[in-house]
Amino acid sequence: MSAPAIEVLQVHKTFATGGGRVVAVDDVSFAIPAGGVLGVVGESGCGKSTMARLILGLLAPDSGEVKVEGQAVSGMDRKARARLIQPVFQDPFSSLNPLARVKDIVAMPLVAQGTFGRAEIGRRVDELLARVGLSAEMGRRLPAELSGGQRQRVAIARALVLRPRIVVCDEPTSALDVSVQAQILNLLAELRRDLGLTYLFISHNLAVVEHVASEVAVMYLGRIVERGSTDALFARPEHPYTKALLASVLTPEPGLGVPDVGLGDALPDPANMPPGCRFHPRCPVAEARCASESPPLRKRANGGAECWLA
Amino acid sequence: MSPLLEIENLRVEFGRTSAVRGISLKVAPGETHCLVGESGCGKSVTSLAVMNLLARGAQRRADRLAFKGEDLLGLPERAMARLRGNAMAMIFQEPMTSLNPAYTIGSQMTEVLRRHKGASQRVATERAADLLARVGITAPGMRLGQFPHQLSGGLRQRVMIAMALMCDPQLLIADEPTTALDVTVQAQILRLLAGLQRDLGLGLLLITHDLGIVARVATRVSVMYAGEIVESAPTAELFANPSHPYTQGLLRCVPVPGKVRRDEPLGSIPGTVPRIGAGFTGCAFRDRCDFADASCAVAVPHQRAGATHDYLCRLAPQSARTAA
Repeated sequence: MSAPAIEVLQVHKTFATGGGRVVAVDDVSFAIPAGGVLGVVGESGCGKSTMARLILGLLAPDSGEVKVEGQAVSGMDRKARARLIQPVFQDPFSSLNPLARVKDIVAMPLVAQGTFGRAEIGRRVDELLARVGLSAEMGRRLPAELSGGQRQRVAIARALVLRPRIVVCDEPTSALDVSVQAQILNLLAELRRDLGLTYLFISHNLAVVEHVASEVAVMYLGRIVERGSTDALFARPEHPYTKALLASVLTPEPGLGVPDVGLGDALPDPANMPPGCRFHPRCPVAEARCASESPPLRKRANGGAECWLA
Repeated sequence: MSPLLEIENLRVEFGRTSAVRGISLKVAPGETHCLVGESGCGKSVTSLAVMNLLARGAQRRADRLAFKGEDLLGLPERAMARLRGNAMAMIFQEPMTSLNPAYTIGSQMTEVLRRHKGASQRVATERAADLLARVGITAPGMRLGQFPHQLSGGLRQRVMIAMALMCDPQLLIADEPTTALDVTVQAQILRLLAGLQRDLGLGLLLITHDLGIVARVATRVSVMYAGEIVESAPTAELFANPSHPYTQGLLRCVPVPGKVRRDEPLGSIPGTVPRIGAGFTGCAFRDRCDFADASCAVAVPHQRAGATHDYLCRLAPQSARTAA
């Protein structure tokens, strides 16, 4: 069997702040098979964006290792890494150079490689713009002259112009309107199918993750507390945090009212990690041992949950 | 019951661009009226126009704009300032930018009550602490002494809500009050607003782009597109019989948990919202509409799909279309 597209092995990452060390990613391991889509969900501050940056090689782990197609990301040459794995970020307003024309933005990764001729660059840029649904005329515009959805298409074209195998999408549709979000999600799905891409797809929107991901990892305060195939996890969540997240999704069904999620007001604080299970201060079903002993991983097919009660 | 807020044929122009093109709506006591639409449709401009907080250079006109029967159009700014934050309050979208970073939470919250009601600092502080507790903030005394940057996004948003409630408003205008928040916190805040509404009978004009929120909290929904309300109906009726093609398109775009087909694309609305200049006629949605014909460039009929269900389209109501 070939190596997984992404392999994360016992990765740790902390940051120093004024108030001490903050644990962003705490002993996380997982793998994504080639052609798969792993959705990562969790609240702000749970470490999901740090995870994305570690996989992209933009941050180095304190310990542990990230491998992409069998190679360690840390030892990889920047240009080689760029040919293999590319990001699409949340905010197309701040991730595009406001002074560069769309064509030049999309051409940048090719130019940076230093091995492509001008004709080849022009051909590939035109091909990619057409592929993401932008006209040649759009290529001559500045980012400020585009709508949010068009800007995100530019960001996707730039990510794909080097023909990478893996794309890390960090909240790619969170800044967009629903009708535009649907367009971009459809485009990402189509590109994955046609080009055989692997996605790490980070979102706080569970409905979006359910739509795009084949597997889901739920993060809480730096750890993956539950993982499984999308269908199983959404149909039969085992971790109380996953259950609460799913219960707080407001589906467009009138008459149901707003659910009581039952998480209380104790918000997670990564600088002040609770002992035992890190979710116990908010957990509606916590028992005495949850406050003192870390829960084991209860395995099931494709994953499992870290909970004493699962 | 007579309405708290009445808007009739409101128009707002910025130079030659029309941001709001003749919208009408009412909010009754205890009612939640949701104004839904995408970026640039004019929903935030509408709320600012009601509060008379539009940027300089904006032109506001209306046939009627009234709060509890009192005309707001001719009201001098001094009198409007006495209403604003008092009997009619507003929660803005960005708690990061709408709280003053240089003052403590306590001084910003108490100022409202001292200013409008002439309350003493002691009384105002007690009220602020009481409201912070009601919006689910633990240790309110400590929070009053903190600055906005010391609070998380969820806490700041709750502070904004508590501040809006300082003077017991009868009408609350909330512009995307939960957009920046995690889903878990969003659910808590919406429950809180619903509870306050039940207890205090306040009328709520809730501006959002999230159809999930609309379905769960609205009494009535008005869908805005390119500066117009293209459809308005009681919530259950709107979701059961959406009659404007734009409303139907919006509903198809939302991924619904549990009803997902991963191999099928989501419904989407091709194209983008047009910019409306002077002399525009016909339906603003026609370039993106599957059902548009030549007549849509000329005029749009105002139709009724029920006693309280209005929409702007030449097509027959959805209920008649499915029956046929």
